[in-house]
Amino acid sequence: MRLLVVEDDPLLLRSLAATLREEDYAVDTAADGAEGLFKAQQNTYDAILLDVMMPKLDGWAVLARLRPACRTPVLMLTARDAVPDRIKGLDSGADDYLTKPFDGDELLARLRALIRRAAGRTSPRLDLGDLAIDTAARRVHRAGVEITLTAREYSLLEYLALHRGEVVTRTELYDHLFDEDDSTFSNLLDVHVSNLRKKLGHDLIVTRRGHGYCIE
Amino acid sequence: MSSVFHSLRWRLQLWHGAILLVAVLAFCLTAYRLAWNSQLRHIDGSLFEAGRSLGRGLMHATRGPGETAETAPEQIAQLLRAGRIPLPAELAERFRGTEPGYSYFSLYDADGHQLLHSENFPAATRPVHAGRALEETIRTVGTRREVVSGGPPKLATILGRDITPELESMRRFGWSLGALGLGVWALGLVGGWWLAGRAIKPIAAISGTASRIAGGNLSERIDTDGTDSELDQLGHVLNETFDRLHEVLEQQKQFTADASHELRTPVTILISETQRILKRDRTPEEYREAMQTCHDTAERMRRLIEALLLLSRQDAVGRGGPREACDLAPILREVVAQLAPLAERGGLRLETDLAPATCRANPAALAILASNLVGNAIQHHHAAGGVVTVACGATPGGVAFSVRDDGPGIAAEDQPHIFRRFYRADQARTGSSGHTGLGLAIAKAIADNHGGTISVQSQTGAGTCFTVALPGQPG
Repeated sequence: MRLLVVEDDPLLLRSLAATLREEDYAVDTAADGAEGLFKAQQNTYDAILLDVMMPKLDGWAVLARLRPACRTPVLMLTARDAVPDRIKGLDSGADDYLTKPFDGDELLARLRALIRRAAGRTSPRLDLGDLAIDTAARRVHRAGVEITLTAREYSLLEYLALHRGEVVTRTELYDHLFDEDDSTFSNLLDVHVSNLRKKLGHDLIVTRRGHGYCIE
Repeated sequence: MSSVFHSLRWRLQLWHGAILLVAVLAFCLTAYRLAWNSQLRHIDGSLFEAGRSLGRGLMHATRGPGETAETAPEQIAQLLRAGRIPLPAELAERFRGTEPGYSYFSLYDADGHQLLHSENFPAATRPVHAGRALEETIRTVGTRREVVSGGPPKLATILGRDITPELESMRRFGWSLGALGLGVWALGLVGGWWLAGRAIKPIAAISGTASRIAGGNLSERIDTDGTDSELDQLGHVLNETFDRLHEVLEQQKQFTADASHELRTPVTILISETQRILKRDRTPEEYREAMQTCHDTAERMRRLIEALLLLSRQDAVGRGGPREACDLAPILREVVAQLAPLAERGGLRLETDLAPATCRANPAALAILASNLVGNAIQHHHAAGGVVTVACGATPGGVAFSVRDDGPGIAAEDQPHIFRRFYRADQARTGSSGHTGLGLAIAKAIADNHGGTISVQSQTGAGTCFTVALPGQPG
């Protein structure tokens, strides 16, 4: 999953990005509203963390310009905790609202919920036949036995599973699994797919030549 | 009211009752006295009249048939001593009986022998000795009033009458007077109670309003009816006090809100970093880096807290510290010297143009003000090689100093707002670069407390000049 974090405090931005990357998200950063808006419009993200009080363009302005064209879930982070501010945030198009200081684990859980909801899922568990994917714990079990995957492998599997039934193009996979700082060779994607097939079976991921991959 | 003696109304009533009682008593006693004196004069008048009829009767008794001249008193005396005068009928008629109001008499010679007396002469009367020079005396013996006089030579007379009727009537008069006095006193008490109540009522109203205000409703105020009475003035004073209290509490609330708001982001950083680091084992380098981040953030919080406290002290009643006569020039020179290393690091030059400028101010506060302005000028420079000029001098209205830089300037739309707390024009970064957002707010508070002004001239790209003007020495 790829996230965009828009926060003007550099230390907090760094800390948040590091936390999220350690949770195997690909993270892009923006230090002000204008940069954040630009990146949000240029790239597709699975979720956006948006601070409210920022120079150049504040969070509400970014949201106003982003919607309705962009349907990416947005979680607002702010020091403003008064009820009118929360209402304003949610009514402006935010999907969730967290006030500072917040608990890091809560942030992660809410992000997961946002992403799950955006994919039309209601439960953190994805079942593919006898394969059970726990998106909260980031673990995969086949018939009760855990299968170890690398972070990249898991992310790829999770993305394909969340978009089950859809053909996911390679471009889309690049966009959602790697952040802007990642310089990877396109082959890497194939390697991950190949590894997944080895671990989970060749029938799981179907290649649509010329289009992309799909889990049916 | 815990006891009767604490209540203002009751105390008023007690005093009023006591004073009225004394007045009524004095009046009653005086009236009684006057009436009694009048009665006595009347009685004595009748006694003298009786004495005259006694004399006349004696003269008739001693006049022989056919004599027309009046008998001389000496003759009467002689005749009396000789025992030759019987009690005349008319005298017996006049001086007899024992009904209330009876009269009696007795005549004595020099040795105290009774020569002639009326039948009803009370035995208990004290005899007199005619030998002594007797002045006429009137005395009251029991229920009788007597005149004792020395008549013709060597003759003493006691003439008296029973005054029981008069005493009765005086007693009745006394009781009526007493009852009347009591009635007047009671009426006075009732009237006084009502009057005291009316005067005290506004106090109860004020007290009630003040309790409500003190209980939390700080926007309410006491009604003053504009009559400028003593209670009205009290209401005004209390209202002013509540205004001041409200102002102070609002400032406190503002401070608390500002502090907690601004501290949220640094606290978030601390929580985020520490939570992240603790999730798994880290290399010493990672721990070091996280520690550094936490330390920098804590430093930032400390600076913020100090700035907020400084600001709240400027807001406080003491208005920022004691004043003394001081000269701006050495203060500014000191500030420039302190900030020189910072300027050097930024590649900036600090120049001064300081003329003596004495005023009445708190030197420490002025130093903070100047330091904030010069520090800002140094921080907001983007290019090395710039100049920051600090100048001061006397002005027609007092003294002034200025801090001018040739940095990026402040946009016109930001200029009205820069002195607000936590206002950050876009170029300013958040507190992680050392800015609390309070520097100019503090500067303005200090300038205001000294009765001065702070103003800014700036154009984007053309530098900035802050000017602080302070009133001169009074008088």
